Amino acid sequence: MHRKRKGTRISENCGKFKKWQGFLWILPSFFGALVFYLLPYADVVRRSFLGAVDNRFVGLVNYRIILDNTAFLLAVKNTVRFTLICIPILIVLALVCAVVLYQSKYGGMIKSAFLMPMALPAVSVALVWRLLFHSQGLLNNWLEHLGLLGKDWMNTPSAFWILVVSYIWKNLGYDIVLWMAGLAGISENIYEAARVDGAGEWKCFLNITLPNLKPSFYTITVLSFLNSFKVFREAYLVAGDYPHESIYMMQHLFNNWFRNFSFDKMAAAAVIESLILLGLILLLQKAWDSGVE
Amino acid sequence: MKYGMLKRAAGTLLAAALVLGSLTGCSGKGNESASNGNTKASDENGAEGDGKEQAKGRFLEEDVTLPIVFGNIFDMKKLEDGTIRIIGINGDNGTKTVWDSKDLGANWEKAFDAPKEIQDEGNGYVDYAALSFDGQSVWVYNQIGDGGITHVLYLVDQEGNGSVIPFELPAAEGEAFSTDNPIENLIMRIGFLGSEQLLIKDMTGKIFQISVVDGSVKQTYDFSDAEDAHEIYVVGNKILIATSSEILIYDGETGEQQQTEEALQKSVAESGRFDAVDTIDAGEGMYYLTSGGLYHYKFGGTVMEQLIDGTMNSLGAPAFYPIALTMLDEENLLVAANDINSSSPGGIALLKYTWSAETSAKPDKELRVYSLYDNREMRQSISHFQKEHTDVYVNYQAAMTEENGVTVSDALKTLTTEIMAGKGPDLIILDGMPVETYIEKGILKDLSSVFADSGNYFENILNAYQDSQGQICAVPARFLIPAAQGGSTYYTPGEDFDTFTSKQGVLEKMIPEVTIEKFWYSCGASWQKEDKTLDVEKITEFLTKLKNAFGEYDNSTEDDNVTKSMSEGEIVNELKKVSLSYGDLDLAFGRYKVNVGLLGRLDYGMMNAVNEKLENGDYGLMPGQVENVFVPSMILGISSKAAQPELAEEMVAYLFSKEAQKVSQSGGFPVEKEAFKSVIDGHEYETNMDGLVGVAGGANPDERLDYALIPTPEEAINKLTSLVESLTVPALEDDVIKDAVVTQGAKVLKGEITPEEATDAIMQKVNIYLAE
Repeated sequence: MHRKRKGTRISENCGKFKKWQGFLWILPSFFGALVFYLLPYADVVRRSFLGAVDNRFVGLVNYRIILDNTAFLLAVKNTVRFTLICIPILIVLALVCAVVLYQSKYGGMIKSAFLMPMALPAVSVALVWRLLFHSQGLLNNWLEHLGLLGKDWMNTPSAFWILVVSYIWKNLGYDIVLWMAGLAGISENIYEAARVDGAGEWKCFLNITLPNLKPSFYTITVLSFLNSFKVFREAYLVAGDYPHESIYMMQHLFNNWFRNFSFDKMAAAAVIESLILLGLILLLQKAWDSGVE
Repeated sequence: MKYGMLKRAAGTLLAAALVLGSLTGCSGKGNESASNGNTKASDENGAEGDGKEQAKGRFLEEDVTLPIVFGNIFDMKKLEDGTIRIIGINGDNGTKTVWDSKDLGANWEKAFDAPKEIQDEGNGYVDYAALSFDGQSVWVYNQIGDGGITHVLYLVDQEGNGSVIPFELPAAEGEAFSTDNPIENLIMRIGFLGSEQLLIKDMTGKIFQISVVDGSVKQTYDFSDAEDAHEIYVVGNKILIATSSEILIYDGETGEQQQTEEALQKSVAESGRFDAVDTIDAGEGMYYLTSGGLYHYKFGGTVMEQLIDGTMNSLGAPAFYPIALTMLDEENLLVAANDINSSSPGGIALLKYTWSAETSAKPDKELRVYSLYDNREMRQSISHFQKEHTDVYVNYQAAMTEENGVTVSDALKTLTTEIMAGKGPDLIILDGMPVETYIEKGILKDLSSVFADSGNYFENILNAYQDSQGQICAVPARFLIPAAQGGSTYYTPGEDFDTFTSKQGVLEKMIPEVTIEKFWYSCGASWQKEDKTLDVEKITEFLTKLKNAFGEYDNSTEDDNVTKSMSEGEIVNELKKVSLSYGDLDLAFGRYKVNVGLLGRLDYGMMNAVNEKLENGDYGLMPGQVENVFVPSMILGISSKAAQPELAEEMVAYLFSKEAQKVSQSGGFPVEKEAFKSVIDGHEYETNMDGLVGVAGGANPDERLDYALIPTPEEAINKLTSLVESLTVPALEDDVIKDAVVTQGAKVLKGEITPEEATDAIMQKVNIYLAE
């Protein structure tokens, strides 16, 4: 009896340990996230209610200031516009390319070629941009030969579309690889069964491929969205702190605010931006979860 | 099960190691600063071990009072009997003279004046002379005759008796000479090799080793086909020849080239070429001076030892040019130098460095000074300040150098990070920085207490950044005046912008970008409205009127300007490009109708000579959309997060003292009135009894402008002083707006876009900036 009681206690303790051991294993990662992400983020939230240098409590003043700040509103508008235009184009184009490549026997080889832009350093890309789109650059030279008038591309609204094309060119290969990985995960048996039932290629694509790519869609959207922030590097290297207003992004604003000690405004804007991003990602996740169910 | 336990244990250990590893990566140990190189031999004291006990021992600098005002010192040596001998020119009467000190420089007595043949200024002049260790001297007397200049070498013995060395300098090969001034060759350097031979470098870089007895040539070192020999030094029996790329060593007896000293080459590459050399062990080792300080090198050795860090004393000052180094012993040395900013009248200074074993190797306190661009006035002032404060090390950092390629934006971001991390500078030179923003953000400390005991300053300049509560968070230590110079046909001092720019083509042939930048200073201050936004109409008006004054753009003139800059063989810095003096020869020789630019120093002789070439030539304020503008320069501010705020205040107070304000390196006029007068009155020419003239050459070979080197007349001093007193408006100092205006404005002057299009482009960029 005594032995039996002891045995029960041991098994109870083991159960408790097993229940908590999962937390123990994620503890190092959680600690890293805490130190490098959560605590700094908490500090940013704290700073959004303080003065820039004197750390005086100012309440919601910083939020009010940035919401009235035309530079902030312009940066938000441009960033949203850029994201709304780029991401759908990129995702659809990458999917089309991925499907075509997946069916081609040379797909693997061509896929690698699409990844080349990702390997190019941002500085090299920026130099090529300058060479091409400068008011006395190659593009204007070619246009001149064709009898057309050139312009200072980077100082006109065309700068925005140059940025869009650059982003798509650079990220297309990466998204193709992700879509192809998703395509590889779909069992060939499903297609065969559908074809036996008389389904054509288009029907297979609509009813088999697309639904099965939903998990990949979530990942690709989030990654493309996050990669869209990196386009700032090229824009900054080509046009500096103050580019044409059509490509003035959130990162330009943060960069310039940091230089001018505007930590108060930076913190408030960062909090707003992070909340919007979090909301969008949660929405996307919810859409994905409902799709999976 | 056992295996599973092992796996878990290993995993736990690995995770723990990763966490600990990441934590140790954040430790601050890496920030400990490297030891400085100012110790005689840091291991002698060995006190750096645990970091608590500070290393001791440093050379301290002191001025040595010279017996007379030397106009020049040619050489200084410690003779074999221990006497210190100086040969030079008496600044008061021009006598070539020899002085001795028997007590290591404390007291001096005249040994003798050079023989009368050398003193004859009517028929020639002396430009080089050298001493031997036995007290003889050799003087290069350039005799001016009908056939041109001939060189006569006078050997003067220990007692002052002179004799001519029968040596005739061969005519230089392959050099073209003007028929007006027939010079066959020139002696460019001279020095003793022992006491019986001389080394003479000619204008082609060829070196002759001759006998002082009969003038016969023992050896010739010819570098004309390969590289120029820049300097010759003698260390014991070794001849060291510094070429443009390396140090060549020759045996003085055989003339044979010796093996290259790799460590010496490397150290010279790192610390710069020698300015002066000496030895105390018959040439086993050498001591040499560079702008980095004093170094010791043992021939055949593998390392160079830095004995004095030039950043802690006058040796590293930008206007300090060593003439001679005399090692008294291992712990004492004398340096004779040309230092226009020294306290010695005439600008010739003698400094003594003495080893102090009790002084800490590195000063206890560190004052961090920061600027975007290198500031020569600051460097000069730092060396003076440190001499008076031996316990303070001023760590001056200029963020943007030609080597590092850092942009203004990157430099400012780094500065922001450092200030917010509490590791920023104490004192900031705010030139090129957003001063107003820094004041608004509370980055800068109020300096009004520093100026509470009001000095004799131009208050209108001093208070450029004073706010409504009387706080002065930034203060310009210097200033420049947007000025114009021209003949009465094109320019009348005091005329307004409308009248000036209505004269079509009055600014023709100027560089578009530079022209816009110059007028930005005289106009930009009128564009900012009360709400800090810019007045679009005024910018359009500015560009339209300036385009009219500029006329049609001729891009060939830009090529001419480039050629001119390249031929001068120098990198033209930003301030120089916009300075008034940069265009004075173009004005004198008719390429420009009017010269405009920033006036930061008064070279009266030159300005007067240019005026005389013009019809009723005169100078005055640059016409602009706002009147009485000045450009604040060397703007000082103390960081509100400074680690040494009191010391920084002391430094600011010093920088506004008469002594520091008199330091002139072309960075602007002093704000202190007496110093201002001192830098414009041309007092350095008061002893110019020979009627020496300055000569400036234009872009073309036949363009030559001679000008008198004379003190500035009282009338001219008064004119400039009253001009300064009339200045009331600080120029708009905002590089973001300026860059946008210069970029777009240049396109207007070149005819690429209309003023309206340019204004739109400027406003588009500037509006975002202002909105931020």
